[in-house]
Amino acid sequence: MFSVKRAAAAFAAGCALSFSAQAKPIAFGKGTTVMAEYGAGTMNEVQAFYAPHYWYSLGGAWLSLSSDGGEKSRHISTLRANVLAKRWNYPAAQANVFAWGGIGLATGNDFSGSQLSRNIGVQADYETRWIYASLRSDLVEAKAFSHRIDSVQLGFAPYAHEYGGLATWLVLQGRSYTGGIYDGVEAALLLRLFKGGTWVEAGVSSDGKLQAMAMFNF
Amino acid sequence: MKRLQALFFVCITLAVGNAQAKTIEMKVNGLVCAFCAQGIEKTMKSFAETSFVLVNLAHQLVAVELKADADISDARLNVAITEAGYSLVSITRTENSVSDLSARIAAAEQADE
Repeated sequence: MFSVKRAAAAFAAGCALSFSAQAKPIAFGKGTTVMAEYGAGTMNEVQAFYAPHYWYSLGGAWLSLSSDGGEKSRHISTLRANVLAKRWNYPAAQANVFAWGGIGLATGNDFSGSQLSRNIGVQADYETRWIYASLRSDLVEAKAFSHRIDSVQLGFAPYAHEYGGLATWLVLQGRSYTGGIYDGVEAALLLRLFKGGTWVEAGVSSDGKLQAMAMFNF
Repeated sequence: MKRLQALFFVCITLAVGNAQAKTIEMKVNGLVCAFCAQGIEKTMKSFAETSFVLVNLAHQLVAVELKADADISDARLNVAITEAGYSLVSITRTENSVSDLSARIAAAEQADE
């Protein structure tokens, strides 16, 4: 019964997506997650989710994408569902596969009015108290555009944090955009800090632009 | 005879009371981050029987100090941990308080350094 419910939720989620920060889209059951990301001038995003259970969350996202010269810009509002499709719990590690989807409305400077948009994505991650790795693919489409963002993150903790203490991570990120938003791979080096339910990270991209993210779980 | 029965009853009550666990220590797989700990802490605090909760990532430990004369069954603990998204490995009931346990862990960690 549980797997049927999960499969149904996964199917529902398979309808759309948004470009979220590379944190986990579900923190814990009966928890609320609020995230905001500034991505090197290329993307800005705000998200809010509530997770009734540890394996799914529901909420909304607002995404702004902008090409380097400003020739193309997108503003996309999405209602979104996230599903933890699979989790592996190990004695000192955890691995997850998340999927998400949603539908929304998009506006842009190279098409008129607003268009129905759809969003779908997947993330796989592996984490210990020392290392973090994630792969993520995120697609948002409307009649006038199709953008995909593929991301990889590799993180290293200089010390193993304990609950209640400050966790520090150094994260290397690579991000590839399609759909004429950014050519090539945008690399960034980030310093990630979290304590309790608060997560903040900031760094610079390879072309010297600021990237920053904040997330709050409660 | 009645005195003897009363004395026997008092002895049994004291024995049961002493045998009652004060803290439940659980070994849990998948505990690697603050958000994992936060979720489990929230879940364990939702039990009316809970007095204090300690989550220790280094030892994959969740400890629940119980209120006086309270207990939480293994089955309920297993459901709570599983429904929080983690895997329960073992359950141990002890007479230690959570603060005793914290001190023991801190001493062990100091000794390791």
